[in-house]
Amino acid sequence: MAVLGPNGAGKSTLLRILAGLARPTAGSISIRRGGREPDGRGRARAWVGFAGHTTFLYPELTARENLVFQGRVQGVVDPGLRADQLLEEEGLTAVADRRAGSFSRGMAQRLSIARALVQDPPLLLLDEPFTGLDRRAGDRLSERLQRLRSEGRTILLVTHDLLRASEIADTALVLLAGRIVQQAEGSSIERAALETTYAEALESEVPTE
Amino acid sequence: MTAETNGFGPVATRTRTASGALLGVLLIAYAYTVVTAPIDATQGVIQKILYVHVPLAYGAYLGFVVTALGGALYLWKADEKWDRLAVSGAEVGVIFCTLMLVTGPIWARGTWGKWWSWDPRLTVTLLLWFVYLAYLLLRNFSEGGSRTARFAGVYGLVGAALIPLNYFVIEIFGGRGMHPENLERGSLGEGMGMPFVIGNLTLFVAFAYLLLLRWEVETLRARNLAESVDPVALAREEIGT
Amino acid sequence: MRVLAAILWKDLVTEWRSRDRVVAMLVFSLLVVMVFHFALPDGTGREIATHAPGLLWVAFVFAALIGLNRAFAMELENDALAGLALTPMDRGWVFMGKALSNVLLIGIAQGLTAAAFALVFDIDLLSSAGSLALVFLLGTLGISSVGTLFSAMAARTRFREVLLPILLLPALFPVLAGAVEGTMEAIRDGGASFASIQLLLVVDGIYWIICFIGFDFVLDE
Repeated sequence: MAVLGPNGAGKSTLLRILAGLARPTAGSISIRRGGREPDGRGRARAWVGFAGHTTFLYPELTARENLVFQGRVQGVVDPGLRADQLLEEEGLTAVADRRAGSFSRGMAQRLSIARALVQDPPLLLLDEPFTGLDRRAGDRLSERLQRLRSEGRTILLVTHDLLRASEIADTALVLLAGRIVQQAEGSSIERAALETTYAEALESEVPTE
Repeated sequence: MTAETNGFGPVATRTRTASGALLGVLLIAYAYTVVTAPIDATQGVIQKILYVHVPLAYGAYLGFVVTALGGALYLWKADEKWDRLAVSGAEVGVIFCTLMLVTGPIWARGTWGKWWSWDPRLTVTLLLWFVYLAYLLLRNFSEGGSRTARFAGVYGLVGAALIPLNYFVIEIFGGRGMHPENLERGSLGEGMGMPFVIGNLTLFVAFAYLLLLRWEVETLRARNLAESVDPVALAREEIGT
Repeated sequence: MRVLAAILWKDLVTEWRSRDRVVAMLVFSLLVVMVFHFALPDGTGREIATHAPGLLWVAFVFAALIGLNRAFAMELENDALAGLALTPMDRGWVFMGKALSNVLLIGIAQGLTAAAFALVFDIDLLSSAGSLALVFLLGTLGISSVGTLFSAMAARTRFREVLLPILLLPALFPVLAGAVEGTMEAIRDGGASFASIQLLLVVDGIYWIICFIGFDFVLDE
């Protein structure tokens, strides 16, 4: 699901609240998976993987150490094994023992996503993951996300890159001024349609929930 | 007006007005009793400062109790009105505390010849003052409404533990006291009890009045802020229509 | 619990690889000791001995401030703090991990500073090393608890280097009272009194509990 909207609409905030990083000032969140709910806010965090603009990585630790650390923080049973697994999936096995501080932006990004997946969460939240990536890296990420989706995960993607969004997303959620103004088919995402949506929403001044 | 900007309803406003009126009356009575109280044989006129200094303690310490409680309630309930109460407690409390730290040394200088001593009560009051300052600076330097409120709430808790802890510490580890120990009925001279009683009452009401006033101002300020921020207009600007 | 161990390991490994915190703390406290030496009149061992505990802890507190300032700097670099905030476990364990790693690092700086102090001022600290170590440990536990909590807060505000001492020093008063007294007793009588130890234990206990609970609120955005 792509989450779109102009700056300041509240997209990042929404993601951070869903991830358990921030508390909402009003309302509530509920997460369900196959009819089950997590017990408590803490447990809910285990179900969600989050990757934002910043990488959350420790530059002094190696790629593998970063993943193992995050695994322990998330309570993963065999973090070493999981780390190796993730490194392979992201194609980073070659640099597993290199300090994360020396990574290029693209590599750091991939490691960051691996980090988000450490506890094997059914829900993945990504905040502007395509920013700063060149065409090839972007394609790679796109592929990766599609693969993750086919594994049965739900992915919420905040992005300004409408092309990528229409490539990957099944649905699009448009946010404006802190509210959802439209929910649409992913493939129908394009600039003109978006502009119209904004205009309509602002006209009515009372955006739909 | 959204749910976040309530918290100071008509009942509170009426209480505030009532206490204001009461305060006016009490102040007159207070002044009268202080002026007509007998002059202390050993300490002289300067002893009358105590009639102000001692009751100030209520405001100073209660202020922090309010701050800590308000902060704790905010952390628990996430209702901003408690945070507004907390900051009001701190701002009013710090005034009372500062006045205590000013009147104390004046009295000390007048009677004992020294401006300062490290006696338990004065030291703890000084520490309280620092805690207030730290609290207010923390709020000032923080960015973001809810973050400020949360940090302040946590600091309030630490402070709340700190003050009684320090009192015990200083008691144990030595206080060369200049403080008059107990103001029991028997130890005071004739006619000296009344100013203290009125004084305590007056300054307590003064504290309550100022607290409510400050709380109301803060609520109005928050309300104002919420209404001046229009998300739709911001969105308009952002998109460029 | 494992979160605690993980953070402890991470902090120590990172520190070992960059060594910036311990070195900074050490250099600073040695400088402080030098300044004391020049600032104080040419006292004989006996006179200095009465003031030594206080001076020693002043040096320790300064060093701790340096170390604590940097404690969360690494967490903010890539916003790794948010990564920690994502833990499904009780966030209090994150606090404990950080605080314990601080205890260790500050403790190392303390030990070396004490040695330098003993040399420069010609005071015998070795004969009461055991009880001194205990007092140092308890004092540092106190400093580290509120220090870690406040440095996490200060790290996300303006003027963090200024705010940390303002927040921390009033809170350290009971800790220092017990620690200085205990140190004095250890040097003078060969062992700290029960009263000092008890005070330190009580203060440490209260502080750790409050910080454990409060840290959750500090980790939120």
